[in-house]
Amino acid sequence: MILRFAALAAGLLGVAAGALLVGGTVLWPAAIWNALLHPNSGEIATIVWQLRLPRIAIGAFVGASLAIAGALLQGLLRNPLVDPYLTGVSAGAAVAIVLSISAGVAAAAVPALGFAAGLATAITVAALARRGASLDATRLILAGVSLSSLFAAIIALVLTRVQGAGSAPAIVSWLAGTLSGRSWGDLFFAAPYAFLGVVLALLSAPALNALRLGDTRAAAVGVDVGRAQWTILASSSLLAASAVTLSGTIGFVGLIVPHIARRMVGSDARYVLAASALLGAALTIVADALSRTLFAPAEIPIGVLLAFIGVPAFLYLYLRDRRTAAA
Amino acid sequence: MIAVRDLELRVAGKPLLAAMSFDIGAGEFVSILGRNGAGKTTLLRALAGLRPADGGSVALQSRSVAAFSPAERSRAIAFVTSDDVFADRLTVRDVIAAGRYPHHRWWQWTQDSHDAKAIAGALEAVELQSFADREFATLSSGERQRVWIALAIAQEAPLLFLDEPTGHLDLRAAQHVLKLLREQVHAGKTVVCVLHDPNEAAAYADRAMLLAAGGILAFDRRDRALTPALLEQAYGLKMESVTTPSGISRIFPSAT
Repeated sequence: MILRFAALAAGLLGVAAGALLVGGTVLWPAAIWNALLHPNSGEIATIVWQLRLPRIAIGAFVGASLAIAGALLQGLLRNPLVDPYLTGVSAGAAVAIVLSISAGVAAAAVPALGFAAGLATAITVAALARRGASLDATRLILAGVSLSSLFAAIIALVLTRVQGAGSAPAIVSWLAGTLSGRSWGDLFFAAPYAFLGVVLALLSAPALNALRLGDTRAAAVGVDVGRAQWTILASSSLLAASAVTLSGTIGFVGLIVPHIARRMVGSDARYVLAASALLGAALTIVADALSRTLFAPAEIPIGVLLAFIGVPAFLYLYLRDRRTAAA
Repeated sequence: MIAVRDLELRVAGKPLLAAMSFDIGAGEFVSILGRNGAGKTTLLRALAGLRPADGGSVALQSRSVAAFSPAERSRAIAFVTSDDVFADRLTVRDVIAAGRYPHHRWWQWTQDSHDAKAIAGALEAVELQSFADREFATLSSGERQRVWIALAIAQEAPLLFLDEPTGHLDLRAAQHVLKLLREQVHAGKTVVCVLHDPNEAAAYADRAMLLAAGGILAFDRRDRALTPALLEQAYGLKMESVTTPSGISRIFPSAT
Protein backbone atom coordinates (compact mmCIF):
# COMPACT_ATOMS: atom_id res chain seq x y z
CA MET A 1 0.00 0.00 0.00
CA ILE A 2 2.84 2.39 0.85
CA LEU A 3 4.38 1.63 -2.54
CA ARG A 4 1.12 2.42 -4.32
CA PHE A 5 0.84 5.77 -2.55
CA ALA A 6 4.49 6.54 -3.24
CA ALA A 7 3.84 5.82 -6.91
CA LEU A 8 0.77 8.08 -6.89
CA ALA A 9 2.65 10.91 -5.18
CA ALA A 10 5.60 10.53 -7.55
CA GLY A 11 3.19 10.59 -10.48
CA LEU A 12 1.61 13.79 -9.21
CA LEU A 13 5.00 15.48 -8.79
CA GLY A 14 6.01 14.27 -12.22
CA VAL A 15 3.01 15.70 -14.02
CA ALA A 16 3.30 18.96 -12.04
CA ALA A 17 6.93 19.29 -13.14
CA GLY A 18 5.98 18.43 -16.70
CA ALA A 19 3.20 20.99 -16.71
CA LEU A 20 5.71 23.70 -15.75
CA LEU A 21 7.58 23.05 -18.99
CA VAL A 22 4.73 23.43 -21.45
CA GLY A 23 2.62 26.40 -22.46
CA GLY A 24 2.70 29.33 -24.85
CA THR A 25 6.50 29.20 -24.75
CA VAL A 26 8.33 25.97 -23.99
CA LEU A 27 10.73 26.54 -21.10
CA TRP A 28 13.73 24.33 -20.44
CA PRO A 29 14.24 22.75 -17.02
CA ALA A 30 17.36 24.79 -16.32
CA ALA A 31 15.54 28.06 -16.99
CA ILE A 32 12.63 26.99 -14.80
CA TRP A 33 14.94 25.93 -12.01
CA ASN A 34 16.64 29.28 -12.15
CA ALA A 35 13.29 31.08 -12.13
CA LEU A 36 12.06 29.03 -9.19
CA LEU A 37 15.13 30.01 -7.18
CA HIS A 38 14.97 33.68 -8.19
CA PRO A 39 11.35 34.82 -8.30
CA ASN A 40 12.18 38.35 -9.44
CA SER A 41 14.71 37.57 -12.13
CA GLY A 42 12.76 38.72 -15.17
CA GLU A 43 10.28 37.53 -17.76
CA ILE A 44 10.74 33.80 -17.32
CA ALA A 45 10.39 34.09 -13.56
CA THR A 46 7.16 36.02 -14.06
CA ILE A 47 5.81 33.31 -16.37
CA VAL A 48 6.72 30.59 -13.88
CA TRP A 49 5.59 32.35 -10.71
CA GLN A 50 2.60 34.32 -11.92
CA LEU A 51 1.19 32.11 -14.67
CA ARG A 52 2.23 28.49 -14.56
CA LEU A 53 2.72 27.74 -10.86
CA PRO A 54 -0.61 29.20 -9.72
CA ARG A 55 -2.34 27.43 -12.55
CA ILE A 56 -0.80 24.09 -11.63
CA ALA A 57 -1.54 24.65 -7.95
CA ILE A 58 -5.14 25.57 -8.75
CA GLY A 59 -5.47 22.55 -11.04
CA ALA A 60 -4.22 20.28 -8.29
CA PHE A 61 -6.49 21.96 -5.77
CA VAL A 62 -9.60 21.72 -7.95
CA GLY A 63 -8.92 18.13 -9.01
CA ALA A 64 -8.22 16.94 -5.48
CA SER A 65 -11.25 18.75 -4.05
CA LEU A 66 -13.64 17.37 -6.64
CA ALA A 67 -12.28 13.84 -6.32
CA ILE A 68 -12.53 13.84 -2.53
CA ALA A 69 -16.04 15.31 -2.68
CA GLY A 70 -17.06 12.62 -5.17
CA ALA A 71 -15.58 9.82 -3.08
CA LEU A 72 -17.41 11.14 0.00
CA LEU A 73 -20.80 11.35 -1.65
CA GLN A 74 -20.48 8.01 -3.45
CA GLY A 75 -19.65 6.42 -0.11
CA LEU A 76 -22.41 8.21 1.79
CA LEU A 77 -25.11 7.31 -0.71
CA ARG A 78 -23.59 3.92 -1.62
CA ASN A 79 -24.16 4.89 -5.22
CA PRO A 80 -21.31 4.83 -7.75
CA LEU A 81 -23.17 7.17 -10.13
CA VAL A 82 -23.07 10.12 -7.78
CA ASP A 83 -20.82 13.09 -8.53
CA PRO A 84 -19.93 16.08 -6.33
CA TYR A 85 -22.42 18.29 -8.14
CA LEU A 86 -25.33 16.09 -7.06
CA THR A 87 -26.20 18.37 -4.16
CA GLY A 88 -26.70 21.28 -6.54
CA VAL A 89 -23.46 23.01 -5.59
CA SER A 90 -22.37 23.69 -9.15
CA ALA A 91 -25.82 24.57 -10.45
CA GLY A 92 -26.37 27.01 -7.60
CA ALA A 93 -22.96 28.58 -8.09
CA ALA A 94 -23.46 28.69 -11.85
CA VAL A 95 -26.76 30.57 -11.59
CA ALA A 96 -25.27 33.13 -9.24
CA ILE A 97 -22.17 33.58 -11.39
CA VAL A 98 -24.05 33.74 -14.68
CA LEU A 99 -26.50 36.26 -13.27
CA SER A 100 -23.77 38.41 -11.77
CA ILE A 101 -21.63 38.38 -14.92
CA SER A 102 -24.61 39.33 -17.08
CA ALA A 103 -25.59 42.04 -14.60
CA GLY A 104 -22.05 43.41 -14.75
CA VAL A 105 -21.07 42.75 -11.15
CA ALA A 106 -17.38 43.47 -10.55
CA ALA A 107 -15.30 40.44 -11.54
CA ALA A 108 -13.58 40.31 -8.16
CA ALA A 109 -16.88 39.74 -6.35
CA VAL A 110 -18.09 36.96 -8.66
CA PRO A 111 -16.29 33.94 -7.12
CA ALA A 112 -17.49 34.82 -3.61
CA LEU A 113 -21.06 35.11 -4.84
CA GLY A 114 -20.76 31.76 -6.60
CA PHE A 115 -19.33 30.11 -3.52
CA ALA A 116 -22.12 31.42 -1.30
CA ALA A 117 -24.83 30.41 -3.74
CA GLY A 118 -23.34 26.93 -4.18
CA LEU A 119 -23.30 26.32 -0.44
CA ALA A 120 -26.79 27.77 -0.04
CA THR A 121 -28.08 25.35 -2.65
CA ALA A 122 -26.44 22.39 -0.94
CA ILE A 123 -28.03 23.41 2.37
CA THR A 124 -31.45 23.71 0.70
CA VAL A 125 -31.08 20.27 -0.87
CA ALA A 126 -30.02 18.76 2.46
CA ALA A 127 -32.96 20.41 4.23
CA LEU A 128 -35.35 18.96 1.65
CA ALA A 129 -33.81 15.49 2.09
CA ARG A 130 -34.00 15.55 5.88
CA ARG A 131 -35.96 12.84 7.63
CA GLY A 132 -35.76 13.11 11.39
CA ALA A 133 -32.12 13.44 12.36
CA SER A 134 -30.82 11.70 9.26
CA LEU A 135 -30.90 12.12 5.49
CA ASP A 136 -32.87 10.08 3.01
CA ALA A 137 -30.63 9.10 0.09
CA THR A 138 -33.39 8.99 -2.51
CA ARG A 139 -34.80 12.32 -1.45
CA LEU A 140 -31.33 13.85 -1.49
CA ILE A 141 -30.77 12.70 -5.06
CA LEU A 142 -34.24 13.82 -6.18
CA ALA A 143 -33.94 17.23 -4.54
CA GLY A 144 -30.43 17.75 -5.96
CA VAL A 145 -31.39 16.71 -9.47
CA SER A 146 -34.59 18.76 -9.59
CA LEU A 147 -33.00 21.95 -8.21
CA SER A 148 -30.09 21.51 -10.61
CA SER A 149 -32.41 21.26 -13.59
CA LEU A 150 -34.33 24.34 -12.45
CA PHE A 151 -31.04 26.24 -12.30
CA ALA A 152 -29.99 24.87 -15.68
CA ALA A 153 -33.21 26.30 -17.11
CA ILE A 154 -32.48 29.70 -15.57
CA ILE A 155 -28.98 29.64 -17.07
CA ALA A 156 -30.37 28.72 -20.49
CA LEU A 157 -32.78 31.63 -20.23
CA VAL A 158 -30.01 34.07 -19.32
CA LEU A 159 -27.82 32.76 -22.15
CA THR A 160 -30.56 33.35 -24.74
CA ARG A 161 -30.97 36.91 -23.41
CA VAL A 162 -27.28 37.81 -23.46
CA GLN A 163 -26.44 36.23 -26.83
CA GLY A 164 -24.08 38.50 -28.68
CA ALA A 165 -23.62 40.74 -25.65
CA GLY A 166 -20.16 41.40 -24.25
CA SER A 167 -20.63 39.13 -21.26
CA ALA A 168 -21.53 35.99 -23.27
CA PRO A 169 -17.97 34.63 -23.77
CA ALA A 170 -17.16 34.99 -20.07
CA ILE A 171 -20.30 33.07 -19.16
CA VAL A 172 -19.70 30.28 -21.66
CA SER A 173 -16.07 29.88 -20.62
CA TRP A 174 -17.11 29.66 -17.01
CA LEU A 175 -19.80 27.06 -17.72
CA ALA A 176 -17.39 24.90 -19.73
CA GLY A 177 -14.81 25.05 -16.95
CA THR A 178 -11.43 26.69 -17.24
CA LEU A 179 -8.36 27.40 -15.15
CA SER A 180 -7.19 30.33 -17.20
CA GLY A 181 -6.96 33.80 -15.68
CA ARG A 182 -6.87 32.56 -12.08
CA SER A 183 -4.29 33.87 -9.65
CA TRP A 184 -2.81 33.06 -6.27
CA GLY A 185 -5.38 35.38 -4.74
CA ASP A 186 -8.28 33.25 -6.01
CA LEU A 187 -6.61 30.17 -4.59
CA PHE A 188 -6.10 31.77 -1.19
CA PHE A 189 -9.75 32.81 -1.11
CA ALA A 190 -10.98 29.23 -1.62
CA ALA A 191 -8.30 27.34 0.30
CA PRO A 192 -9.57 27.82 3.88
CA TYR A 193 -13.01 26.43 3.01
CA ALA A 194 -11.51 23.45 1.23
CA PHE A 195 -9.16 22.89 4.16
CA LEU A 196 -12.14 22.74 6.51
CA GLY A 197 -13.76 20.32 4.05
CA VAL A 198 -10.69 18.07 4.09
CA VAL A 199 -10.57 18.05 7.89
CA LEU A 200 -14.24 17.04 8.05
CA ALA A 201 -13.61 14.38 5.38
CA LEU A 202 -10.75 12.88 7.38
CA LEU A 203 -12.86 12.85 10.54
CA SER A 204 -15.62 11.00 8.69
CA ALA A 205 -13.41 8.30 7.18
CA PRO A 206 -14.01 5.62 9.86
CA ALA A 207 -17.77 6.26 9.81
CA LEU A 208 -17.71 6.14 6.03
CA ASN A 209 -16.16 2.68 6.25
CA ALA A 210 -19.02 1.48 8.46
CA LEU A 211 -21.61 3.17 6.23
CA ARG A 212 -20.46 0.98 3.34
CA LEU A 213 -22.41 -1.81 5.03
CA GLY A 214 -25.69 0.10 5.12
CA ASP A 215 -27.20 2.57 7.57
CA THR A 216 -28.60 -0.10 9.90
CA ARG A 217 -25.28 -1.89 10.28
CA ALA A 218 -23.45 1.40 10.70
CA ALA A 219 -25.84 2.34 13.51
CA ALA A 220 -25.42 -1.14 15.01
CA VAL A 221 -21.65 -0.73 15.28
CA GLY A 222 -22.06 2.64 16.97
CA VAL A 223 -21.99 5.22 14.18
CA ASP A 224 -24.15 8.27 14.87
CA VAL A 225 -25.58 7.98 11.37
CA GLY A 226 -27.31 11.36 11.29
CA ARG A 227 -24.24 13.22 12.45
CA ALA A 228 -21.96 11.32 10.03
CA GLN A 229 -24.28 12.13 7.12
CA TRP A 230 -24.32 15.85 7.91
CA THR A 231 -20.55 15.96 8.34
CA ILE A 232 -19.93 14.19 5.05
CA LEU A 233 -22.42 16.38 3.24
CA ALA A 234 -20.90 19.55 4.69
CA SER A 235 -17.43 18.40 3.76
CA SER A 236 -18.29 17.52 0.16
CA SER A 237 -20.25 20.75 -0.30
CA LEU A 238 -17.37 22.89 0.96
CA LEU A 239 -14.93 21.09 -1.32
CA ALA A 240 -17.16 21.20 -4.39
CA ALA A 241 -18.07 24.85 -3.85
CA SER A 242 -14.40 25.83 -3.48
CA ALA A 243 -13.54 23.98 -6.67
CA VAL A 244 -16.43 25.38 -8.68
CA THR A 245 -15.59 28.90 -7.57
CA LEU A 246 -12.09 28.54 -8.99
CA SER A 247 -12.66 26.60 -12.17
CA GLY A 248 -16.33 26.58 -13.13
CA THR A 249 -17.99 23.25 -13.71
CA ILE A 250 -15.44 20.58 -14.46
CA GLY A 251 -17.18 17.27 -14.84
CA PHE A 252 -15.79 13.77 -14.83
CA VAL A 253 -13.10 14.15 -12.14
CA GLY A 254 -15.47 13.84 -9.20
CA LEU A 255 -17.41 10.99 -10.78
CA ILE A 256 -14.65 8.82 -12.19
CA VAL A 257 -11.54 9.38 -10.09
CA PRO A 258 -13.00 7.68 -6.98
CA HIS A 259 -13.68 4.57 -9.11
CA ILE A 260 -10.10 4.47 -10.34
CA ALA A 261 -8.91 5.06 -6.77
CA ARG A 262 -10.95 2.12 -5.44
CA ARG A 263 -9.49 -0.02 -8.20
CA MET A 264 -6.01 0.86 -7.02
CA VAL A 265 -6.32 0.80 -3.22
CA GLY A 266 -9.53 -1.12 -2.39
CA SER A 267 -12.62 0.30 -0.73
CA ASP A 268 -11.22 1.45 2.63
CA ALA A 269 -12.36 5.08 2.87
CA ARG A 270 -9.07 6.24 4.39
CA TYR A 271 -7.13 5.02 1.36
CA VAL A 272 -9.81 5.94 -1.16
CA LEU A 273 -9.90 9.57 0.00
CA ALA A 274 -6.12 9.95 -0.12
CA ALA A 275 -5.74 8.17 -3.46
CA SER A 276 -8.64 10.16 -4.96
CA ALA A 277 -6.99 13.42 -3.94
CA LEU A 278 -3.64 12.48 -5.55
CA LEU A 279 -5.23 11.07 -8.72
CA GLY A 280 -7.70 13.93 -9.09
CA ALA A 281 -4.91 16.48 -8.77
CA ALA A 282 -2.67 14.69 -11.29
CA LEU A 283 -5.45 14.15 -13.82
CA THR A 284 -6.54 17.79 -13.70
CA ILE A 285 -2.98 19.07 -14.11
CA VAL A 286 -2.47 16.84 -17.14
CA ALA A 287 -5.79 17.84 -18.69
CA ASP A 288 -5.08 21.52 -18.13
CA ALA A 289 -1.58 21.23 -19.64
CA LEU A 290 -3.08 19.57 -22.70
CA SER A 291 -5.90 22.10 -22.91
CA ARG A 292 -3.45 24.97 -23.23
CA THR A 293 -0.93 23.28 -25.54
CA LEU A 294 -2.86 21.08 -27.99
CA PHE A 295 -4.20 23.96 -30.06
CA ALA A 296 -2.05 26.78 -28.66
CA PRO A 297 -2.54 29.68 -28.54
CA ALA A 298 -6.24 28.72 -28.43
CA GLU A 299 -7.36 26.89 -25.28
CA ILE A 300 -9.87 24.04 -25.18
CA PRO A 301 -12.08 24.17 -22.08
CA ILE A 302 -10.62 21.73 -19.57
CA GLY A 303 -14.03 20.22 -18.83
CA VAL A 304 -14.45 19.33 -22.50
CA LEU A 305 -10.97 17.89 -22.71
CA LEU A 306 -11.42 15.79 -19.57
CA ALA A 307 -14.58 14.29 -20.97
CA PHE A 308 -12.89 13.54 -24.30
CA ILE A 309 -10.02 11.65 -22.64
CA GLY A 310 -11.79 10.35 -19.61
CA VAL A 311 -15.03 8.91 -20.89
CA PRO A 312 -13.47 6.48 -23.40
CA ALA A 313 -10.79 5.50 -20.87
CA PHE A 314 -13.40 4.85 -18.23
CA LEU A 315 -15.72 2.91 -20.51
CA TYR A 316 -12.78 0.80 -21.61
CA LEU A 317 -11.81 0.05 -18.00
CA TYR A 318 -15.33 -0.90 -17.03
CA LEU A 319 -16.28 -2.91 -20.08
CA ARG A 320 -13.01 -4.81 -19.93
CA ASP A 321 -13.62 -5.55 -16.28
CA ARG A 322 -17.10 -6.89 -16.98
CA ARG A 323 -15.77 -9.15 -19.68
CA THR A 324 -13.15 -10.56 -17.31
CA ALA A 325 -15.82 -11.06 -14.66
CA ALA A 326 -18.05 -12.90 -17.14
CA ALA A 327 -15.20 -15.16 -18.23
CA MET B 1 -29.53 -8.81 31.99
CA ILE B 2 -32.24 -7.25 29.81
CA ALA B 3 -35.33 -6.01 31.57
CA VAL B 4 -38.31 -4.90 29.49
CA ARG B 5 -41.18 -3.12 31.24
CA ASP B 6 -44.51 -2.09 29.69
CA LEU B 7 -42.83 -1.69 26.34
CA GLU B 8 -44.99 -0.18 23.63
CA LEU B 9 -43.98 0.06 19.98
CA ARG B 10 -45.82 1.92 17.25
CA VAL B 11 -45.28 1.94 13.50
CA ALA B 12 -46.50 5.00 11.59
CA GLY B 13 -48.55 6.02 14.61
CA LYS B 14 -50.36 2.69 14.88
CA PRO B 15 -49.78 0.42 17.87
CA LEU B 16 -47.84 -2.69 16.89
CA LEU B 17 -46.92 -4.20 20.24
CA ALA B 18 -48.02 -3.12 23.69
CA ALA B 19 -47.78 -4.02 27.36
CA MET B 20 -44.66 -6.13 26.90
CA SER B 21 -42.79 -7.00 30.08
CA PHE B 22 -40.16 -9.71 30.30
CA ASP B 23 -36.57 -10.43 31.29
CA ILE B 24 -33.75 -12.14 29.44
CA GLY B 25 -30.89 -13.53 31.50
CA ALA B 26 -27.19 -13.62 30.73
CA GLY B 27 -26.11 -16.67 28.74
CA GLU B 28 -29.57 -17.43 27.38
CA PHE B 29 -30.44 -18.30 23.79
CA VAL B 30 -33.87 -16.82 23.11
CA SER B 31 -35.75 -17.10 19.84
CA ILE B 32 -38.60 -14.85 18.73
CA LEU B 33 -41.26 -16.25 16.42
CA GLY B 34 -44.47 -14.95 14.89
CA ARG B 35 -46.20 -14.16 11.63
CA ASN B 36 -44.84 -11.62 9.16
CA GLY B 37 -45.79 -8.20 10.48
CA ALA B 38 -46.21 -9.44 14.05
CA GLY B 39 -43.45 -7.06 15.14
CA LYS B 40 -40.46 -9.39 15.55
CA THR B 41 -37.93 -7.15 13.82
CA THR B 42 -39.31 -3.98 15.41
CA LEU B 43 -39.08 -5.57 18.85
CA LEU B 44 -35.53 -6.75 18.19
CA ARG B 45 -34.47 -3.29 17.04
CA ALA B 46 -36.01 -1.73 20.15
CA LEU B 47 -34.23 -4.24 22.39
CA ALA B 48 -30.98 -3.39 20.62
CA GLY B 49 -31.55 0.33 21.15
CA LEU B 50 -31.67 0.99 17.41
CA ARG B 51 -35.15 2.46 17.64
CA PRO B 52 -36.75 4.29 20.54
CA ALA B 53 -39.54 2.80 22.63
CA ASP B 54 -42.90 4.52 22.18
CA GLY B 55 -43.73 3.70 25.78
CA GLY B 56 -42.24 1.74 28.66
CA SER B 57 -38.56 0.92 28.90
CA VAL B 58 -35.79 -1.41 27.84
CA ALA B 59 -32.98 -1.63 30.37
CA LEU B 60 -29.63 -3.34 30.09
CA GLN B 61 -28.15 -4.14 33.49
CA SER B 62 -30.57 -1.68 35.11
CA ARG B 63 -29.67 1.13 32.74
CA SER B 64 -32.02 2.33 30.01
CA VAL B 65 -30.59 1.56 26.54
CA ALA B 66 -31.84 4.97 25.42
CA ALA B 67 -29.24 6.53 27.74
CA PHE B 68 -26.29 4.73 26.08
CA SER B 69 -24.13 6.67 23.63
CA PRO B 70 -23.99 5.00 20.21
CA ALA B 71 -20.49 3.62 20.77
CA GLU B 72 -21.25 2.52 24.32
CA ARG B 73 -24.37 0.71 23.14
CA SER B 74 -22.45 -1.03 20.37
CA ARG B 75 -19.85 -2.31 22.80
CA ALA B 76 -22.71 -3.96 24.72
CA ILE B 77 -25.03 -5.05 21.92
CA ALA B 78 -24.26 -6.43 18.46
CA PHE B 79 -27.11 -6.47 15.97
CA VAL B 80 -27.03 -8.70 12.90
CA THR B 81 -29.26 -7.91 9.97
CA SER B 82 -29.29 -9.77 6.66
CA ASP B 83 -30.05 -6.76 4.45
CA ASP B 84 -27.98 -6.99 1.35
CA VAL B 85 -25.14 -4.63 0.72
CA PHE B 86 -23.52 -3.29 -2.40
CA ALA B 87 -20.02 -1.99 -2.09
CA ASP B 88 -17.35 -2.04 -4.73
CA ARG B 89 -14.13 -3.86 -3.80
CA LEU B 90 -15.22 -4.81 -0.29
CA THR B 91 -13.34 -7.72 1.25
CA VAL B 92 -14.47 -10.01 4.05
CA ARG B 93 -11.87 -8.46 6.32
CA ASP B 94 -13.17 -4.94 5.52
CA VAL B 95 -16.65 -6.03 6.58
CA ILE B 96 -15.54 -7.61 9.83
CA ALA B 97 -13.25 -4.68 10.66
CA ALA B 98 -16.35 -2.47 10.90
CA GLY B 99 -17.13 -4.34 14.13
CA ARG B 100 -14.16 -2.56 15.73
CA TYR B 101 -15.70 0.89 15.17
CA PRO B 102 -17.17 1.31 18.68
CA HIS B 103 -13.77 0.50 20.23
CA HIS B 104 -12.06 3.43 18.54
CA ARG B 105 -12.03 7.10 19.46
CA TRP B 106 -12.33 9.56 16.61
CA TRP B 107 -8.61 10.10 16.33
CA GLN B 108 -7.80 6.39 16.32
CA TRP B 109 -7.60 5.72 12.64
CA THR B 110 -5.62 2.55 12.51
CA GLN B 111 -6.10 -0.94 13.89
CA ASP B 112 -4.04 -2.04 16.85
CA SER B 113 -3.03 -5.56 17.81
CA HIS B 114 -6.21 -6.06 19.82
CA ASP B 115 -8.32 -5.22 16.75
CA ALA B 116 -6.33 -7.67 14.67
CA LYS B 117 -6.85 -10.36 17.31
CA ALA B 118 -10.58 -9.71 17.53
CA ILE B 119 -10.93 -9.89 13.75
CA ALA B 120 -8.88 -13.07 13.50
CA GLY B 121 -10.89 -14.61 16.34
CA ALA B 122 -14.17 -13.71 14.65
CA LEU B 123 -13.03 -15.27 11.36
CA GLU B 124 -12.05 -18.40 13.23
CA ALA B 125 -15.35 -18.59 15.13
CA VAL B 126 -17.31 -18.69 11.87
CA GLU B 127 -14.72 -20.89 10.12
CA LEU B 128 -13.89 -18.38 7.39
CA GLN B 129 -10.16 -17.93 8.05
CA SER B 130 -9.26 -18.61 4.44
CA PHE B 131 -11.85 -16.08 3.22
CA ALA B 132 -10.33 -12.96 4.80
CA ASP B 133 -9.16 -11.40 1.55
CA ARG B 134 -12.00 -12.64 -0.66
CA GLU B 135 -14.32 -10.05 -2.15
CA PHE B 136 -17.57 -10.05 -0.23
CA ALA B 137 -19.61 -9.95 -3.45
CA THR B 138 -18.30 -13.39 -4.45
CA LEU B 139 -19.63 -15.20 -1.37
CA SER B 140 -22.71 -17.43 -1.16
CA SER B 141 -25.69 -16.49 1.05
CA GLY B 142 -24.57 -18.91 3.75
CA GLU B 143 -21.04 -17.52 3.75
CA ARG B 144 -22.35 -13.94 3.83
CA GLN B 145 -24.48 -14.75 6.85
CA ARG B 146 -21.44 -16.11 8.62
CA VAL B 147 -19.53 -12.93 7.77
CA TRP B 148 -22.32 -10.82 9.31
CA ILE B 149 -22.08 -12.94 12.44
CA ALA B 150 -18.30 -12.56 12.45
CA LEU B 151 -18.77 -8.78 12.25
CA ALA B 152 -20.91 -9.00 15.39
CA ILE B 153 -18.39 -11.25 17.14
CA ALA B 154 -15.57 -8.82 16.34
CA GLN B 155 -17.63 -6.19 18.14
CA GLU B 156 -16.95 -8.16 21.36
CA ALA B 157 -20.39 -7.31 22.75
CA PRO B 158 -21.86 -9.70 25.31
CA LEU B 159 -25.28 -9.49 23.63
CA LEU B 160 -25.90 -10.79 20.15
CA PHE B 161 -29.20 -9.92 18.44
CA LEU B 162 -29.98 -11.47 15.07
CA ASP B 163 -32.82 -10.80 12.66
CA GLU B 164 -33.66 -13.97 10.69
CA PRO B 165 -30.10 -15.27 10.39
CA THR B 166 -31.32 -18.41 8.60
CA GLY B 167 -33.61 -16.50 6.23
CA HIS B 168 -32.32 -17.38 2.77
CA LEU B 169 -30.17 -20.31 3.71
CA ASP B 170 -30.27 -23.93 2.61
CA LEU B 171 -30.67 -26.63 5.25
CA ARG B 172 -26.97 -27.19 5.72
CA ALA B 173 -26.02 -23.51 5.86
CA ALA B 174 -28.86 -22.85 8.31
CA GLN B 175 -27.66 -25.62 10.62
CA HIS B 176 -24.15 -24.25 10.43
CA VAL B 177 -25.29 -20.77 11.47
CA LEU B 178 -27.42 -22.07 14.35
CA LYS B 179 -24.57 -24.24 15.55
CA LEU B 180 -22.30 -21.17 15.53
CA LEU B 181 -24.83 -19.26 17.62
CA ARG B 182 -25.05 -22.12 20.09
CA GLU B 183 -21.24 -22.02 20.37
CA GLN B 184 -21.42 -18.31 21.10
CA VAL B 185 -23.85 -19.03 23.93
CA HIS B 186 -21.42 -21.64 25.28
CA ALA B 187 -18.70 -19.00 25.10
CA GLY B 188 -20.79 -16.84 27.44
CA LYS B 189 -22.83 -14.62 25.10
CA THR B 190 -26.52 -13.95 25.27
CA VAL B 191 -28.26 -14.58 21.93
CA VAL B 192 -31.67 -13.23 20.92
CA CYS B 193 -32.68 -14.33 17.49
CA VAL B 194 -35.72 -13.99 15.21
CA LEU B 195 -36.43 -17.34 13.55
CA HIS B 196 -39.17 -18.60 11.24
CA ASP B 197 -38.89 -22.33 11.74
CA PRO B 198 -40.22 -23.57 15.10
CA ASN B 199 -38.12 -26.70 14.68
CA GLU B 200 -34.91 -24.64 14.46
CA ALA B 201 -36.01 -22.78 17.59
CA ALA B 202 -36.86 -26.03 19.36
CA ALA B 203 -33.51 -27.55 18.48
CA TYR B 204 -31.24 -24.63 19.43
CA ALA B 205 -32.90 -22.02 21.66
CA ASP B 206 -33.43 -22.26 25.42
CA ARG B 207 -36.60 -20.19 25.42
CA ALA B 208 -39.01 -19.10 22.73
CA MET B 209 -41.22 -16.03 22.48
CA LEU B 210 -44.33 -16.17 20.32
CA LEU B 211 -45.67 -12.80 19.19
CA ALA B 212 -49.31 -12.49 18.13
CA ALA B 213 -52.18 -10.02 18.32
CA GLY B 214 -50.08 -7.07 19.41
CA GLY B 215 -48.31 -8.74 22.30
CA ILE B 216 -46.64 -11.80 23.71
CA LEU B 217 -48.64 -14.98 23.24
CA ALA B 218 -46.10 -17.08 25.07
CA PHE B 219 -42.58 -16.70 26.40
CA ASP B 220 -41.40 -19.89 27.98
CA ARG B 221 -39.05 -22.83 27.84
CA ARG B 222 -38.96 -24.15 24.31
CA ASP B 223 -40.94 -27.32 25.09
CA ARG B 224 -43.72 -25.27 26.69
CA ALA B 225 -43.85 -22.41 24.17
CA LEU B 226 -43.48 -24.34 20.94
CA THR B 227 -46.53 -26.55 21.28
CA PRO B 228 -48.98 -27.26 18.45
CA ALA B 229 -51.74 -25.44 20.32
CA LEU B 230 -49.75 -22.21 20.83
CA LEU B 231 -48.25 -22.27 17.34
CA GLU B 232 -51.78 -22.69 15.94
CA GLN B 233 -52.75 -19.49 17.68
CA ALA B 234 -49.60 -17.70 16.58
CA TYR B 235 -49.78 -18.62 12.90
CA GLY B 236 -53.51 -19.30 12.46
CA LEU B 237 -52.74 -22.71 10.98
CA LYS B 238 -53.56 -26.21 12.17
CA MET B 239 -50.34 -27.76 13.46
CA GLU B 240 -49.34 -31.24 14.43
CA SER B 241 -46.26 -32.74 15.91
CA VAL B 242 -44.63 -36.11 15.36
CA THR B 243 -41.74 -37.79 17.04
CA THR B 244 -39.25 -39.29 14.65
CA PRO B 245 -37.91 -42.80 15.19
CA SER B 246 -34.70 -41.22 16.45
CA GLY B 247 -36.66 -39.41 19.15
CA ILE B 248 -36.72 -35.85 17.78
CA SER B 249 -40.02 -34.04 18.03
CA ARG B 250 -41.03 -32.08 14.91
CA ILE B 251 -43.87 -29.62 14.42
CA PHE B 252 -45.39 -28.73 11.07
CA PRO B 253 -48.66 -27.45 9.59
CA SER B 254 -51.06 -30.30 8.98
CA ALA B 255 -52.47 -30.78 5.50
CA THR B 256 -56.07 -29.59 5.30
